[in-house]
Amino acid sequence: MTTTSIERNEAGAPLISVRDLSVSYDVARTGKRLTAIEGVDLDVHEGEFITVLGPSGCGKTTFMNVVAGLVKPTTGTVLVGGSPVTGPGPDRAVVFQDYALLPWRTVFDNVKFGLEMQKELKGAGWRERVQEAIELVGLAGFEQSYPRELSGGMQQRVGLARAVVAEPRILLMDEPLGAVDALTREVMRDEIEKLMAATGKTVLFITHSIEEAILLGDRIVVFKSHPGAIKEIIETGLERPRSERSIQHDPRFLELRDHLWDALQGEATAAAVSK
Amino acid sequence: MTVTSATGTMRIVRPRRVIRRSEAKWTWLLVGVIAAILLIWEAAVSWLQLIPASFLPPPSAIAVSFGKLLVDPEFWGAFGYSLGNVAIGLVIAVVVGVTVGLAVGWSPVLRFTVAPFLWLLYSTPKVALAPLFILGLGLGSESKIALVFLLAVFPIILNTMEGAVTVSTSLVNAGRVYGVNGVALGWKIIVPATLPYSLSGIQRGAALGFTGEVLGEFLGGTGGLGHMLEYAAYQFQMDDAIAMVIVMVIIANLTLLLISTLRRRLAPWYDDRKIAGAS
Repeated sequence: MTTTSIERNEAGAPLISVRDLSVSYDVARTGKRLTAIEGVDLDVHEGEFITVLGPSGCGKTTFMNVVAGLVKPTTGTVLVGGSPVTGPGPDRAVVFQDYALLPWRTVFDNVKFGLEMQKELKGAGWRERVQEAIELVGLAGFEQSYPRELSGGMQQRVGLARAVVAEPRILLMDEPLGAVDALTREVMRDEIEKLMAATGKTVLFITHSIEEAILLGDRIVVFKSHPGAIKEIIETGLERPRSERSIQHDPRFLELRDHLWDALQGEATAAAVSK
Repeated sequence: MTVTSATGTMRIVRPRRVIRRSEAKWTWLLVGVIAAILLIWEAAVSWLQLIPASFLPPPSAIAVSFGKLLVDPEFWGAFGYSLGNVAIGLVIAVVVGVTVGLAVGWSPVLRFTVAPFLWLLYSTPKVALAPLFILGLGLGSESKIALVFLLAVFPIILNTMEGAVTVSTSLVNAGRVYGVNGVALGWKIIVPATLPYSLSGIQRGAALGFTGEVLGEFLGGTGGLGHMLEYAAYQFQMDDAIAMVIVMVIIANLTLLLISTLRRRLAPWYDDRKIAGAS
């Protein structure tokens, strides 16, 4: 198994550069200090699709939240486009696991939320942009529906449209298909694969599904828990475009799956024991 | 239930009418039960004379009193007086309640220092303070408005607080990710997310406020429906007194209906069933 270094042999500065990142909290209830992640180093280049794989509680969401600017690093630095992250910014959009749609807004207004705090909204043609994003995720005809009238899969499509409408450079997805039913999940994996291949966005995709990590990722960042840290980084090396169906019997897919399975099995057991 | 729209896409339509139709059956059953009770009551008092009519007047006598009330200008004066006081007290309670509720719900410092007192005051039987209010503010409208306010404000504060506390972290995070900060965060995320809770508190507050108004007039007032009721009761005009009580029941229920309609209009996204547990 080839495990690549944190730096990819590619020309130009990385779009996201994480160095020696640690996050720890004081837990009020026990008075102890909890280390969520420790010593994380990672470089992500423009247009790369990175999947972050790990058992629950390994700090992968914390890692994404730091890149999103929602959580401050305790030590270390995160650079995006060369400048340090001090908070959320229009260059990064997030797709949340629980969708996080505003229930009082229609689909159209939820997608509009993705660009209404930016100057783009003041420019002409914002309606067309919102409409385009809605059509991109296949929700044409549902513009005036409220989130609660939609299925989980459809709600996450709204979340996706809201994230891409302002055309951020980086998409951060926190287990976006975690709460979606199994069948819809498979369809949406393929759709995300196509969508991202078409737009060429840089993506950080958090998941605990091995298949998902392989299908979508150019590189897979495997996290270990207690404390959360990077265990290894694997280049998938699978041809694009990929689909759930096309990779099923690819020997490389099977090899990766077995390897990741072993890696996670050990982690999951360790996590269970330490609890 | 789904229908195909002109563009051929599936739209989701709420099956509200279907529910209404099955409810209609129960409505008729209820009407039947009420009719039966009224019939037995009428029979027991007017025909069998089991109970003296001066003690419990028959429904027919109450209906006559009710009809007389509706054409009595004195009644409409009292009606306007009472409802005016309730409205003023309620408006103040809504403004104060929503503001305090949002502030306490949103600020952890206030939540730990002020909230315990709010719960303490909420559970205090404020009705016991009514004579004090009348003593302090007189027999006029002021003491009644104060009572309406005092009874209505706590459910509004506590419900709003509960709503503000339970705003999901991921909604706040979504706001921050898409550039919403500071005051805008409150206005675009916290307030709309809390609105259904506030409206539910306002509904409870309105019912309690109306009770406060009637109670205040009863204990010491110069006008209003409660005052009229007290007068009728002390004159042993039981048919008038019961007709007045019916008027109050109708007013209270119309107020509740008005507010729940308002809630559906202002917060159509919110599922009523979800808020049923929140008080």
